[in-house]
Amino acid sequence: MASETLATRERRGSLLGWFRADTFEGVRRQRAILGYLFLLPAFIGLVAFVVGPMFVSFGLSFYRWNIFKPPDPIGIANFQRLLTDSRLPGIYANTLFLVVGTVFITQVLALTLALGVTKLRSRKLAYFLRTSWFLPVLMSGAAVGVTLSYLFQREFGPINYYLGVIGIDRVPWMTSASTVMWTIIITAVWKNLGFIFVIYLGAVTNIPQEILDAADVDGAHGWRRLWTVTLPLISPIMLFATVINVIGAMQIFDEPQIMTRGGPGDGSRTAVMYMYEVAFKEQEFGYGSAIAVTLFIAILIVTGIQFLLSKRWVFYG
Amino acid sequence: MTHKLSRRDMLKGTAAGAVGLVAGLTPAMVPAQDAIQIRWSQNEERWTPVVNNFNEMAETPVEIEFLSITGIDHEEVASKILSLLAAGQPLDAGYAATEATVLYAGQGVAMSLTDRVQDNADELAEYFADMAPILPEVMMWEGDLYQLPDGCNAPNMYFNLNVLDLAGLEVPGPDWTKDDFHEYAVATTNAGGEETFGYAWTNRLWGSWGPWYFVNDSNFLTEERAPGGEWLWETFYADNDTVSHRGGGWRWPEPSANHPNTVEALEYVTSLVTEGISPGIEMGGGSSLQGLYVTDKLAMTPAGGFWAGGLINAGMEKGTFDVQFWPQWKSQRHQLGVGGNWIFTGSPNADRMWDFLKFSIQVDQLLSQAGRYRPLMTTTPVRRSMAIAEAYEPTGPANWSVFYETLDRPDTAPIPAPPEANAVTNIHTRFTGLAVSGEMSPQDAMDQAQAELVALFARTRG
Repeated sequence: MASETLATRERRGSLLGWFRADTFEGVRRQRAILGYLFLLPAFIGLVAFVVGPMFVSFGLSFYRWNIFKPPDPIGIANFQRLLTDSRLPGIYANTLFLVVGTVFITQVLALTLALGVTKLRSRKLAYFLRTSWFLPVLMSGAAVGVTLSYLFQREFGPINYYLGVIGIDRVPWMTSASTVMWTIIITAVWKNLGFIFVIYLGAVTNIPQEILDAADVDGAHGWRRLWTVTLPLISPIMLFATVINVIGAMQIFDEPQIMTRGGPGDGSRTAVMYMYEVAFKEQEFGYGSAIAVTLFIAILIVTGIQFLLSKRWVFYG
Repeated sequence: MTHKLSRRDMLKGTAAGAVGLVAGLTPAMVPAQDAIQIRWSQNEERWTPVVNNFNEMAETPVEIEFLSITGIDHEEVASKILSLLAAGQPLDAGYAATEATVLYAGQGVAMSLTDRVQDNADELAEYFADMAPILPEVMMWEGDLYQLPDGCNAPNMYFNLNVLDLAGLEVPGPDWTKDDFHEYAVATTNAGGEETFGYAWTNRLWGSWGPWYFVNDSNFLTEERAPGGEWLWETFYADNDTVSHRGGGWRWPEPSANHPNTVEALEYVTSLVTEGISPGIEMGGGSSLQGLYVTDKLAMTPAGGFWAGGLINAGMEKGTFDVQFWPQWKSQRHQLGVGGNWIFTGSPNADRMWDFLKFSIQVDQLLSQAGRYRPLMTTTPVRRSMAIAEAYEPTGPANWSVFYETLDRPDTAPIPAPPEANAVTNIHTRFTGLAVSGEMSPQDAMDQAQAELVALFARTRG
């Protein structure tokens, strides 16, 4: 017994002992270290692929670098160029229009569909609709872009064909600056609707039935119940869905890149496309990084505004 | 009798087993003895037969790590290759068309092949003798050669014979004019009461409306021949009296987007859209255009020899399309693009890659490329001996000889593709899109394009 106590003391004095100590503190220490070990791969990934590149990109925005020659420090020249870049306001206007259009339509449609599906009596139909609306989410943006560009083709696309059947003239979906952003919005909504729909479906399904029953008893039916009970109860989820929808819309790239390549002119060019083209096509990595910084700040501001405004309409009770 | 395995014994056994497994697998995982590994941005399916042929005769085989880099157009492929390089993943070799040849050469990414070609002049004499001189000239930059050409395409005028039949027309002769073209375009629009278009094109750098500013004696950028290149002409074309005017590749010193002739060409193609002769012009690689063409909704379009096989693959029948030179306007000057393989500057495997490239340009090896020249022609071969009636027998067109004869015309020249080709392409397509969609007048569009090009050259050339 005495020798065991001595061995235990010796173990406690060593590093191994510190880790394996059979005390309450030791067990807590073990669990904490295990927790950090589990976090480590994700942390390394975060630093290597998110935080690291962010800092590198910020640093690069103060250089002129075309990958062929060593980076040349130029101070804030890239940011000064941003102020005189005549293309940037139009490109940001496109991005803003895309965000507003995509987010508004997606949110309204997704919520409506989620509410509608929960009312269905047929489980099979509900299952079918849920699956159908979610399927486009599983497709690659490039595949969606290629397919929809055929559908939207002005001369022989099926969409214009059926519009013609009901007497509507051909719409230049992808070749007119006045319509092209709507084409991208429709595509983006179709592609991403299912994801937001599933979030809302989960939120609506999880509303306790007794609360809805109580609302019924209190005389709140139909629209009134929706406005005063359902929406407040799912408002935290609505905030989440709106925030990720806005961030996603600000970063839309695949669809316009494949369908229009930003054209006609800059008619459907988004901030991310411009950043990519400047950096990777024109090898101006410094200026591309400066554009990335502006986009990062824009997303930060928009998200911040969303959280600030959320205090007025999100109900955490 | 049972034997109880302790945890320690089990761990020992597992470790020993793992070591044995690794030792057993190792010989299978390392390359064959003396094989040299090469990272090459190329089409694996197409080139594997050539690599296999090379390894059958080579003392030291090569193992190629193919990097499949795809894009809507050549400049997008170039962007992705440059992204790879920026990410610190060097290649040993890559493929480039004219859009990126000078970019790689001018930026020092591609290695000059001049010394290697001169050192192997005897071996390569037959290759160059079998080739229109314009092809190696386009692969030169400031007097040095950077790629061995292995495919090319010049935009000629394709005719859909079914639509021409509806309008009661036949394929015009080689010396047809822009006025003839216009008559054809008008006659084939809504031909025979069908919903057809006379002419269409895709908004890009090659093809596009470029052939029109070429025949209108202008260009998007001014062009001049670089000095040098005598070593090539004297070594391989000493007996060829058509090379006296050739130099060491092309330079594009200044923008000329708003040159009156360039603007006039854009005004003309824009008017075709306005008049309903051309459909809305789209960006991209031409798949929509092909759709219009194979469904007999389009009479004429610019395309190269690659379309002969492409149209058959898309479902057209032999004999339903033909081709002719571009119509004359102020001249009948054609543009072209050439493709080839380059070796990365500083590649430790440059010598081996060079051996492979020399091997790959032999006629039988070019023909071994899967699906490129056989069973259907999907590009114009650089070797004259391969552009023969037999090769076009499965596809047509009847005027197949136009493809190679375009290369022999003395004034044929490359598309405007300086070291800043990617940015130039962006400006070209962006302002073209604005003009043809009616957002800007052709004059305003080209004035703004000119201003952006001037700013671009000021930034990149100082």
